[in-house]
Amino acid sequence: MSTLDASSSRESPAPRPAGSLHQLSQDELEDLARSLGLDPSPFRPRERLEAAVNERRHLISAMQIDAMLDVIKWGRRPVAPGLSREQLASEIVQIRSMRFEGLSERGLVVLAFLRGTDVKEGDNAASLLKKLRKQEGLLGWFARKRRQWMGRLVSNMLGETEAPAPESPPSSPSGALPPPGEPAAPPNGAGPSIQEEIEESGLFGGIASRLRRSADVYVNQKLDEIEARIDRKLDEIDRRLGEWRDKEVSNRLKILKITLWASVIVAAVSLIISWIRVAMQTAGK
Amino acid sequence: MFTDFDLFNFFRSWLGWVVAIYCSIVTARWLWDLLGYVRSTDRTIAMVRRYVAVQLLRIRWRGFWYDLLICVLLTVAFFLLWHAQNVMDEIEAALRHVASVHASAAGARQ
Repeated sequence: MSTLDASSSRESPAPRPAGSLHQLSQDELEDLARSLGLDPSPFRPRERLEAAVNERRHLISAMQIDAMLDVIKWGRRPVAPGLSREQLASEIVQIRSMRFEGLSERGLVVLAFLRGTDVKEGDNAASLLKKLRKQEGLLGWFARKRRQWMGRLVSNMLGETEAPAPESPPSSPSGALPPPGEPAAPPNGAGPSIQEEIEESGLFGGIASRLRRSADVYVNQKLDEIEARIDRKLDEIDRRLGEWRDKEVSNRLKILKITLWASVIVAAVSLIISWIRVAMQTAGK
Repeated sequence: MFTDFDLFNFFRSWLGWVVAIYCSIVTARWLWDLLGYVRSTDRTIAMVRRYVAVQLLRIRWRGFWYDLLICVLLTVAFFLLWHAQNVMDEIEAALRHVASVHASAAGARQ
């Protein structure tokens, strides 16, 4: 798979070196494994879990950043720029959506790897989709359908008119996803509907996520307004400061002018007195 | 000797020297302090330095170019008058010298 970049594994150092896994407690090690998309329960004893974590880290370090960003964009995860591969991977493993429309093929490969799917060399998008759905299992499928039904119910109660997207339709008629390198566009524009959110995170998780997003939007809007107000105020201060500066320079120049006038008048009077004195001396002679 | 002593001239020159020295010292100290403050590598001071430079560059000279021109002309006039005063003083001294020479010559004749 071209999504795995063998040379890039040397570029991005992992946040925690492999040797330091021994220093972690069992809970910390299991948390680390979960953050990398591994279920720690089948790995007993501890050495097997450490080996699996190291193997997963090696796999992540070989992934293309662009492909990972495709998945992040598709999953609408808010991430700061400049994150390492491991941080991106821990964001990706939190994406539980099964609606793969809008995800590029390279992103699909990354997602399949991080969800622990058995990805083979010749797998195309359709086979990867099939494997991902198969990996979900019957219980998972039922749970997701239940959440989907719940989401539709809540969506109807809230009066959202957005039509639910068909389940996992391929973005092209042939079943292939957008070509690699092409940025993954979000399927529904601004953000997921409440139905999608409930389907992905459950009833309370979805509602909480929606509330959080609405609060974020409100706070961002208010912050923008405050920023605009501060900018206006700064412009006003700058303008007043400019006026004050010009007025100050003008006043100083006026004071200097008055002083120079006084000096010139006194010098002229002094010259006239000297001239009169010289004239009187000449006349007296 | 004391007949040539002019109290007003003495006061004027004394005042001039004192004021000139005082102003020079105060201005030099102010400039030195300002340079030391502005040359600091601190980030905030660098920002202040840039801000002051921008403010200086943004001065609108069109508003007071006339006053500036008058100041320059008055300064030139002041130095011309100063030079004329010096010339007049020299003439007065020369006349006084001629008068004293004439007076001593007349005394010698008598």
